[in-house]
Amino acid sequence: ACNVSSNDNAESSGTAGGDEVAANDGCDPGEQVIKFSHVTNTDKHPKGIAASLLQERINTEMDGRMCMEVYPNSMLYDDDKVLEAMLLGDVQMAAPSLSKFENYTTKLRIFNFPFLFDNIDAVDRFQASSAGQSLLNSMEDKGLQGLSFWHSGMKQLSADRPLIEPTDARGLKFRVENSDVLVAVFDQLGANPQKMSFSEVYGALQTGVVDGQENSWSNIYGQKFFEVQDGITNTDHGVLDYMVVTSTRWWEGLDENDRNDLARVLAEVSTERNQAVNQLEEEARQAVADAGTEIRELTPEQRQAWVDALRPVWKRFTPDVGADTVKAAQAANQG
Amino acid sequence: MVIALLVLGAPVGVSIGLSSIVFLLIYSNGSLTSVANTLFDAFHGHYTLLAIPFFILAAAFMSTGGVAQRIIRFAVACVGHLPGGLAIAGVFACMLFAALSGSSPATVVAVGSIVIAGMTQVGYPKEFGAGVVCNAGTLGILLPPSIVMVVYAATVDVSVGRMFLAGVIPGLIAGGMLMVAIYAYARWKKLARGEWAGWREIGKSGADAFWGLMLVVVVLGGIWGGVFTPTEAAAMAAVYAFVVANFIYRDMGPLKAPSAHGKPAMIKERAEHSDTLAMSGGAAVLGGPNLGGGTAAPVADDPDRPISLLRRPQALFTAWFHKDTQEVLYDAGKITITLMFIIANALILKHVLTEEQLPQHITQAMLAWGLGPLMFLVVVNLILLIGGQFMEPSGLIVIVAPLVFPIAMQLGIDPIHLGIIMVVNMEIGMITPPVGLNLFVTSGVANMSMLAVVKAALPWLGVLVIFLIMVTYIPILSTWLPTMMMGPETVIR
Amino acid sequence: MFYEMGESPSLIGRIERLFIAVVLGLMTVITFANVIARYVFNSNVLWAVEATVYLFAWLVLIGAAHCVAITAHLGVDAAVNLLGKRAKSIAALLAVAACLAYTILLLIGSWNYWYPFVTDLSFLTTEDVPMMPGFGWLAFMNGGEPYEKLPRFIPYFVLPLSMVLLTIRWTISAIEILKGKRTSIIASHEVVEELEDRDAHVEGTANTAKETTNG
Ligand code: NA
Ligand code: NA
Repeated sequence: ACNVSSNDNAESSGTAGGDEVAANDGCDPGEQVIKFSHVTNTDKHPKGIAASLLQERINTEMDGRMCMEVYPNSMLYDDDKVLEAMLLGDVQMAAPSLSKFENYTTKLRIFNFPFLFDNIDAVDRFQASSAGQSLLNSMEDKGLQGLSFWHSGMKQLSADRPLIEPTDARGLKFRVENSDVLVAVFDQLGANPQKMSFSEVYGALQTGVVDGQENSWSNIYGQKFFEVQDGITNTDHGVLDYMVVTSTRWWEGLDENDRNDLARVLAEVSTERNQAVNQLEEEARQAVADAGTEIRELTPEQRQAWVDALRPVWKRFTPDVGADTVKAAQAANQG
Repeated sequence: MVIALLVLGAPVGVSIGLSSIVFLLIYSNGSLTSVANTLFDAFHGHYTLLAIPFFILAAAFMSTGGVAQRIIRFAVACVGHLPGGLAIAGVFACMLFAALSGSSPATVVAVGSIVIAGMTQVGYPKEFGAGVVCNAGTLGILLPPSIVMVVYAATVDVSVGRMFLAGVIPGLIAGGMLMVAIYAYARWKKLARGEWAGWREIGKSGADAFWGLMLVVVVLGGIWGGVFTPTEAAAMAAVYAFVVANFIYRDMGPLKAPSAHGKPAMIKERAEHSDTLAMSGGAAVLGGPNLGGGTAAPVADDPDRPISLLRRPQALFTAWFHKDTQEVLYDAGKITITLMFIIANALILKHVLTEEQLPQHITQAMLAWGLGPLMFLVVVNLILLIGGQFMEPSGLIVIVAPLVFPIAMQLGIDPIHLGIIMVVNMEIGMITPPVGLNLFVTSGVANMSMLAVVKAALPWLGVLVIFLIMVTYIPILSTWLPTMMMGPETVIR
Repeated sequence: MFYEMGESPSLIGRIERLFIAVVLGLMTVITFANVIARYVFNSNVLWAVEATVYLFAWLVLIGAAHCVAITAHLGVDAAVNLLGKRAKSIAALLAVAACLAYTILLLIGSWNYWYPFVTDLSFLTTEDVPMMPGFGWLAFMNGGEPYEKLPRFIPYFVLPLSMVLLTIRWTISAIEILKGKRTSIIASHEVVEELEDRDAHVEGTANTAKETTNG
């Protein structure tokens, strides 16, 4: 419960730390140690739950061969530092938000395209497609190997006043994650994107230093952003996702047997947890509603107005991700 | 090992840093590279710590720029006529200055350098003045803004704004308790009292101190008015203090009175103030040449008066590069460096402890003992009080907070309340030997030996200890105001 | 920390002083400008947060070396002060040895940390800070492709640089102790003598703030 991660969009980091007292069991000598560093709690956030499950399965099913130590809550590294630490060999696995890879590849910008995916199932289908799977290898030349995608959920939009039409966002200050695409999205809306240390976001929303934010339901609920916003608009306008990565060098240095088993366990954990995300998101959404916060739905026409308003952003960033990838992503909407 | 190095006279930062590195190399598979990474991350990953240099800078501008003297004059006008009036005024001035500065030693310097000398001249024992100011100065970290609170908030990731609010009521209570104790002591010892200077003087001195005191409004108003974040507020405070010092009070910078140039301004004024203070029994005009008439129309070429901006409009530009500004920036920078060097190394220790999973093991052990919240808080107080004997507050917080925070959360203790307990412990650590920043500073401004200051501060320390017990077991003192202003805690338990 | 004494106004010393003042000034002005941009002009300085943080690191790490030169680092001198002159020097030498060990270990770590950023990882840039004009020639570091944003090896360079400077400063301290010119490497808490000392050669600046503002 320590580091203030400076640009972390969506993690319920920090204050939740109290719950984690379960120490990692000591690894036995001879076991291949895997340090997994992440920035959320271990038992409430989708990513934290998935990491804990992965740890549990590896340490039982691969006992004697591999041993995973999980460092939650940015205790060891925040998402900005963890990829550096991985390339320097100080940590073996992490699952940063897809916006954190801007430096390594522009291909992952596809996930920040506004209103590209209709729902999380479409995201699933795209990621399972060959176009999606090839994204896991898009950073090989930089020394990073993607292993799997983990979901947080679809992003919703909120501010200190109702957001129905795209013009409602004009002139408002939105806290955004570090991503050129997201900055462009809010510029396109005539809004004012702001960078801000994640630990300051709740206070900034409350006092009005910034007016709005975008996040998945579990983060809006977990971080209590709903308390200080005038309702949440159910836009599903983007996806908040993570990529489980490791360093290419470490991955290729593993014993082939171990590597295959590790990949299999990870794939099973990913499937299981990603399927559960829909339900977690629904629960979080319900909890926000139960707290008396107004959740605004958009009519198809209203939603189309947002899509049209933001289409220029697609155009601008298509060269970065490739037209084929955009097509494949759109195709995933037709289940 | 840390202690061995400290005893040899190695810098605190190096003692902590080297011990961490050696520990890491012996017991873990962590690398030197990760230590370097962590050292850089002390800055890169802790944006909120930026408030520290800014608050230090603001305090430096205020001390150099004459805000402190004006506040003291106002405090004397208000309470100087009570038994022990000057001492009570000293506490009051410390509280006012504490509300402007984030640090305790800064408060002692700003207030003590003038008040202690003044008290000696009206016939109080010097020890009395030094002891009172040394204690009251600790309020600098309890009343917002507070550097120690910033460090705590950054370490365990709670809201800085909430911590600031939480300090208000305990700060007022602690100040009040000190004043009452002084009042009782003064009646018992029949100490001299000043003359009541009338509402006019209160009004006049209040108006003169107005621009300085407005800083509180700027900082707190700006935060809760949604203009800036607590970190940014610190930078705004620095800029505001710069403007007040250069363009309103004109005690520094291009508009300073010509007679003040080339002289050690503060030392000269300090002597004059204490003279006036003594002669008038403490309550009269505390006016050196630059005081009192700060806003009056300048008489042409009077060397004792500051220069009007109209006569030297280029000052709007030159003030930014003026030698005085450079000096203040350098001094504030130097203090920032020495302090942050310790904090950065403490963060290395924290990283190493985390890598060894020590916090988790300690938590499990403590919970296994079945400690209840009451006993746990006793243990926390003991750890901090003992640690505070050797360590500088910010570094200690960085190390201890991650260890006790998870346990406190398990026991259902409010994180803000825990923070205030820690801050009050740090206050006590600052006035107890061998390492007590306030002791060092007081011995400097009062020109007394360390040992004499320790003895002088001791009786008043009792007040703070009682206060610590109150704060520990009455959580509502800390939590009521933030809950009122900001709604219930956002912590997910 | 408390009082500087007998500081030689050498050229390097003056450059360091100016560096500290300018960097802290820049940090303040950038943060101030960001608030004004957001609140007054409803705009943003997206790189403000990141740039300020990097300046902060430079201020403290480079400044740490300067603070060795002026004996400003904080420590505990209560125990050492009980010793005789000779024993005190020996203690100080041991302390300097510890400082050198610390700095050299960190120099190794810093170099190992920084080196990849000028080689394999030279493509890594900061998140927001734009490329500074005049550094376009650095493109060769990026396989010929011009940098859009400041490459990370520039802000990170402060790590090895500051450790080299610190090594030099500690070595000088050690030599001075051997020569008997100084007896301690930490700020003295026996302030009284120094106060008198300062009064003897006061500088002409308004000065209360000099004392201390930390805590
Ligand atoms: Na304060
Ligand atoms: Na102490």
